[in-house]
Amino acid sequence: MSYLKRSPWFIHYDGTSCNGCDIEVLASLAPRYDVERLGVINTGNPKHADILLITGSVNDQNREVIQNIYEQMPDPKAVVAIGICATSGGIFSECYNVLGGANKVLPVDVYVPGCAARPESIIDGVVKALKVLEEKRHKLIEMKLGIEAFVIEPATIEDAPEILALQKLSYQSEAELYNDFSFPPLMQTLPELKEDFKTITFFKAVVNGVIIGSVRGCMKGDTCHIYRRIVHPMYQNLGVGKKLMNDIEFHFGFASRFEVFTGHKSKRNINFYERLGYRQFKCEEINDKRRRVYLEKSADRI
Amino acid sequence: MRAIVITSAAIILSAGSIALLIINFHREAQYFSLDSPYIDKAILFIDTLLTGYIFYMGWRYKRYIVSGLILLQFLIIIFFEMKYGPDIIVDHALFVDKFSIIMALIIGVVGSLTSVYAIGYMKEFHLQHKAEFKDNRRFFSFLMFIFLSAMLGIVFSNNLLWLYFFWEITTACSFLLIGYKKNKEAMDNAFQALKINLLGGLAFLIGILCLYRFYGVVELDKAVYLGKLGAMVPIAFISLAGFTKSAQMPFSSWLLGAMVAPTPVSALLHSSTMVKAGVYIVLRFASALQGTMLGFVIALTGGTTFLIASLIAISQSDAKKALAYSTISNLGLIVLCAGVGTYEAMWAAMLLIIFHAVTKCLLFLCVGTIEHRIHSRDIEDMSGLIISMPKMSIMIQIGMVGMFLAPFGMLISKWAVLKALVDFNPLLAVFVIFGSSAALFFWVKWLGKIITVVNKEQGLEDGIGRIEATPLYILAFLTVGLCGLFPFVSTALIQPYVVEIYGITLTMSQGNIVIMSIMLAMVMLFPLSFVNYGKRVKVVDAYLGAANIETSTRFRSVAGGVKDMGMKNYYMEKYFGEAKLYRFGILFCFIFIIFMFMVLVR
Amino acid sequence: MIMAYIVFAPILGAVLSGLDRRLTARMQGRVGPPILQPLYDALKLIQKENLVVRRSQNFYILFFLIFIIFTGALFFAGKDLLLVIFALTLADIFFVLGGYKASSPYSIIGSQRALIQMMAYEPIVILAAVGMYMVTKSFYIADIISYSKPLCYYLPGLLFAFIYILTMKFSKSPFDLAYSHHAHQELVKGMTTEFSGRTLAAIEVAHWYENILILGFVWLFFANNIFAGMALTLLVYIATIFIDNTFARAKWELTLLSAWGVGLLFGVGNVIFLFFVKR
Repeated sequence: MSYLKRSPWFIHYDGTSCNGCDIEVLASLAPRYDVERLGVINTGNPKHADILLITGSVNDQNREVIQNIYEQMPDPKAVVAIGICATSGGIFSECYNVLGGANKVLPVDVYVPGCAARPESIIDGVVKALKVLEEKRHKLIEMKLGIEAFVIEPATIEDAPEILALQKLSYQSEAELYNDFSFPPLMQTLPELKEDFKTITFFKAVVNGVIIGSVRGCMKGDTCHIYRRIVHPMYQNLGVGKKLMNDIEFHFGFASRFEVFTGHKSKRNINFYERLGYRQFKCEEINDKRRRVYLEKSADRI
Repeated sequence: MRAIVITSAAIILSAGSIALLIINFHREAQYFSLDSPYIDKAILFIDTLLTGYIFYMGWRYKRYIVSGLILLQFLIIIFFEMKYGPDIIVDHALFVDKFSIIMALIIGVVGSLTSVYAIGYMKEFHLQHKAEFKDNRRFFSFLMFIFLSAMLGIVFSNNLLWLYFFWEITTACSFLLIGYKKNKEAMDNAFQALKINLLGGLAFLIGILCLYRFYGVVELDKAVYLGKLGAMVPIAFISLAGFTKSAQMPFSSWLLGAMVAPTPVSALLHSSTMVKAGVYIVLRFASALQGTMLGFVIALTGGTTFLIASLIAISQSDAKKALAYSTISNLGLIVLCAGVGTYEAMWAAMLLIIFHAVTKCLLFLCVGTIEHRIHSRDIEDMSGLIISMPKMSIMIQIGMVGMFLAPFGMLISKWAVLKALVDFNPLLAVFVIFGSSAALFFWVKWLGKIITVVNKEQGLEDGIGRIEATPLYILAFLTVGLCGLFPFVSTALIQPYVVEIYGITLTMSQGNIVIMSIMLAMVMLFPLSFVNYGKRVKVVDAYLGAANIETSTRFRSVAGGVKDMGMKNYYMEKYFGEAKLYRFGILFCFIFIIFMFMVLVR
Repeated sequence: MIMAYIVFAPILGAVLSGLDRRLTARMQGRVGPPILQPLYDALKLIQKENLVVRRSQNFYILFFLIFIIFTGALFFAGKDLLLVIFALTLADIFFVLGGYKASSPYSIIGSQRALIQMMAYEPIVILAAVGMYMVTKSFYIADIISYSKPLCYYLPGLLFAFIYILTMKFSKSPFDLAYSHHAHQELVKGMTTEFSGRTLAAIEVAHWYENILILGFVWLFFANNIFAGMALTLLVYIATIFIDNTFARAKWELTLLSAWGVGLLFGVGNVIFLFFVKR
């Protein structure tokens, strides 16, 4: 039994807007429409919220803010874009500062059109979002159950397309960290990847026949270089990455030293490697937007 | 080499105190006579030397009041010896009773631990201040041990003249130790301390004079006995001396200034031991003060000091000053108990002395070590200590928690004080109630600051030598252990003494003891929860209005600028500022002291 | 009695909280959520992901909950009232430290303001206990409730002072400096800003336990007749709801100084009066 639909708490963010939709959102909290009778509370804190109500459009200044709010919301979460500005930019979509609607930066679940959107539509939208929340919750539970059964096995050249798609999906967030979309992982083509299969060992993590993670490694001298550790965004934080690392290190057990690298801003990756026993030893500048941090581990640390 | 000597001396000293406890466990108070003209002559001789030195120092530094005071004291002593010397009969010069044993334990154990700590601390101190201060460590350790001996002299003396002699030695040690750095600031504060303590010494002498002149005795036990029969005048003067030594208002300024001294000095003299001598002497007279007007006024002074010092501590961000104010306020609480003088208050006061000595020493020593590592004494700079200095931060947390939180020692004491006061005079309880709430505020503020982590700075703890850290571990262990063992402490040490004096004693009900043990056990479980170190949680940034840039340390401000995130504690200078409240404290206590003497005139 | 408290207090607390929201809504001309809404809120929170800023911040909340239950159990088992007050302080301090540990500007401000609140109300609570001691000659709750006359006859000043600070303990205006119950965006939720999921649910449940404990304390003033006492306590609770909806929030200076002022005037006055009468 899910209580999400009995007690949906939302956080309301206003982008570049005329404040008309804002006021309508607040009006729905007022006595005439009173969404609190449905258990809805307007919290100002993403960590307490289930639904993100966005009014107004996205511009350069607030795109990171919106992403930040979204990241700080606990799962399961839904996004409702209220008003035509949040949907597509509205009548301001051609303006110099407007990037567009909320879907430019976030996965939006429900669009509520209107200019300004009426409270009845807003309530309707929230109710639809509740259904979406329910679905997401079920999926989360499934994943958590399914994840018990993930297997790691060596990958073959037939898996190359799937792995490439996964690679491009997973490295999106990295690219956004540096605002550099010319990242090698995102630029790699299928023939290039198939070439790699000849010299590099690939491992894949599979759940119900679908590849949700992968890692690759190769020997150079007596050092094993491990890279392109990728896990599907929906399956992150569940131990898949760690198991991938463990398995590939085991596979290359005869190496005396292991080396990995990651971007200097990728704090989570750095922490991840440090917890596995790696230590930083070098920092190299790739271009003016990115620096690469190298970490190493000697074999007796396993 | 010096380290070995000091450590062995420390071990011998602590062993001695503990042995004293074990031997005298079941015995009643014992009195010893030590009749020898040589001792009195020796005392006079050393007194003369001391007087000469202090007079000279006062002259050289142009502190004429100091010179004047010491001269006055000397003249009174000479006069006394000349006129009455040959006639004085002293039955028992020394004694040992449970209270002395408790004090000896504190001096022996806490004092020794501090001396051992000082080895490591002073080494670091001179390393960091190579050019500034002259390395006088030999003299320093020498002084610390002289001081400890003098303190033992105070608690074992029955002859008030000898007590006065040891009292003055502690004053001299304090002066020399505060002035250790020999710069202007240190000397200024040393002389301030000297001035106020000499005033106290003068009061002490006048008290002895009155005692002999009117009643013909110079012994402590006899003075207490006479006090119960109504001899209030000597007690008033000696209590005044106690006030100066324990930095009660209006005499508190010297203790705050004394914080410029190196930390072991602050820990030993100015929180655990020397200031306890002041309350010790007032507490000796507690049974005589019970129910008297003088006792009530003393209690009022103590209570006011407690309240106002606690309030001022809220506005202090210098760690040592905050600790100093906390010390002053806790001493005020003990004086309050002494003034009330019932058996319940006595029990509470003894408990307070024990727990305060151990816990405050721990706190000062921790602050000293931390100061050396982070190069700052300010509480605001102690953020994130739990990551950069984990072991230190745990110990200082134990210290802080031990000062105000249930079920630790000081809380039990404050509870006992409350219970004692509601039966006696609830008006005094008001001081305690408001003061403890204020104390709660500033301790938790500090505690919170230490566990807040913003930047991950690591590894500041390397280099803390074992000789510095071991006393800290022992003290932390004692803080927790004593409160776990407090029923035993109570039955073994405190209750017998109280029964001796009053015939009945306060015991904590069995039920409450059980409940508090359960609470203690539960609180001790808290560190264990870190083992399962939050595995099923996801770490994200703090909420900085979603304008975070790379984690929670910086954020995007208006117009695109980047600002660092900073968090500061409330200090509320406007309401609890030192200047304003201090004047109140001095005013009230001054009035009380005048009142004290008016009462005597009647 | 202890088991009854541990099992029923959260439910009762949730119902009272729901009643509070419903009544507030009606006073504002709205319909309001169902009475069991707080229960649904807590159950929903359990199903959410647990986000933290520092890994160890949730332990403090766990201990907050444990100690609140412990304190409530002590209270309803009839033990020493002062010990109950001190244990309650211990529990609240765990909550405050949790806010500090979360290392975020909002939670730290919330924690400090909660400390200011504690500094403001603690003297009055202890004075109330002292007053009760002076009348019944015992600190034990079992003795206090079996006293022959209702204590509110002897302790009117203390009762008034206690009701004055009741809004602080329930996190309602005008003294809801830290974590406010109704103003959902004050200081972005104050101390609880960085907590989510199961831990936030734990905070809610702990607050239900705490509210029942505080109402129990109010009941002590009327405990002579058990059911009349409960009715009067409910009346006091509804009164705080009214006060909440009528007043805006006070600044911390006003809160602290007025609480102490009321405490000194009415609380200490009451105690002094008792001192002279009972002599």
